[in-house]
Amino acid sequence: MTQVDVRQRILSDNATAAAALRSRFAATHTLVLNLISSPGSGKTALLEATVRALSGRLRLGAIEGDIATERDAERLRALGIPAHQILTGGSCHLDARQVSGALETHDLGPLDVLFIENVGNLVCPTSYDLGEDFKVALLSVTEGEDKPFKYPSIFAKAAVTVVTKADLMPYVSFKLDDASGQIAALRPGGTMLVTSAVTGQGIAEWCGLIEERLAAKRGAAS
Amino acid sequence: MHELSLATEIYRTCRATIDARGPGRLDSARVAIGELAAVEPELLVYAWEAVVSGGRDAAARLEVEWHPARQTCATCGEVMERAPGNWLRICPTCGGPVQVAGGDELDVIDLSYTPDEEETAK
Repeated sequence: MTQVDVRQRILSDNATAAAALRSRFAATHTLVLNLISSPGSGKTALLEATVRALSGRLRLGAIEGDIATERDAERLRALGIPAHQILTGGSCHLDARQVSGALETHDLGPLDVLFIENVGNLVCPTSYDLGEDFKVALLSVTEGEDKPFKYPSIFAKAAVTVVTKADLMPYVSFKLDDASGQIAALRPGGTMLVTSAVTGQGIAEWCGLIEERLAAKRGAAS
Repeated sequence: MHELSLATEIYRTCRATIDARGPGRLDSARVAIGELAAVEPELLVYAWEAVVSGGRDAAARLEVEWHPARQTCATCGEVMERAPGNWLRICPTCGGPVQVAGGDELDVIDLSYTPDEEETAK
């Protein structure tokens, strides 16, 4: 029997693919957001509200990850932005190779902002770098305020947490102060926004944050 | 279940390492998994068994080394009282900032294999 030292990151291939994506997005000054949350927390609804608010001002595009169906990409294409659906066929997350593959086969054109909507899952997508500028975690008020401490990894890795479905707050026992305390403990200096895609609450702040980060990325590049 | 993707990557890395040294059969692989890596060691081993089953390396074992994250408060010292996976950035005793170190391991450490020539020499 022969022993061999390997000393290699398990996800080293993903890291290489993510680095290539990151330099590609740096060259085009495209701001890339990786959206991660539970299924049904309102990722696509937030993107629809974002597209309504920002289209005309910025060139937006989306890559949608789901196990099955083109529904999410269709919803965004209906609003006039290029969107490509990656069907993972059972896999619980997107990886960087899938994203580069999607961009090779489906040119989304020149973009200011690319949204990558990950497969609905609070655990697995956190391990995979997709070459994004930052991760965004979504937390809908119907899920309960205890989710950050229950799923610490994503809320620590996400630079921005967006609380969604705030219009339902009067009907559920969601404690906003508890949620923001947990998020601040896991990610000091992180940003939390409270939004509703239905009433439009917080959407202007969210879009303002996107424009700010895009300006910062372009400023850093020039 | 991203453990299955990880097990596939681990096996691919092991196979490539052996193939670069000539033909051989994988006996065991050792990996380091950190507490913050969002990976269940037991599930990783199940996934591993599924990945190697049916092939020439079906008997290969996966050994998982678990690496907890260290949480240290500048005032109170190491924060020990916590359930596994329950890591914070604020000290539960004094409310001061907690430094988190390690726990993000996700590495193939080493492997052992039997070269085909040893097999035939037996």
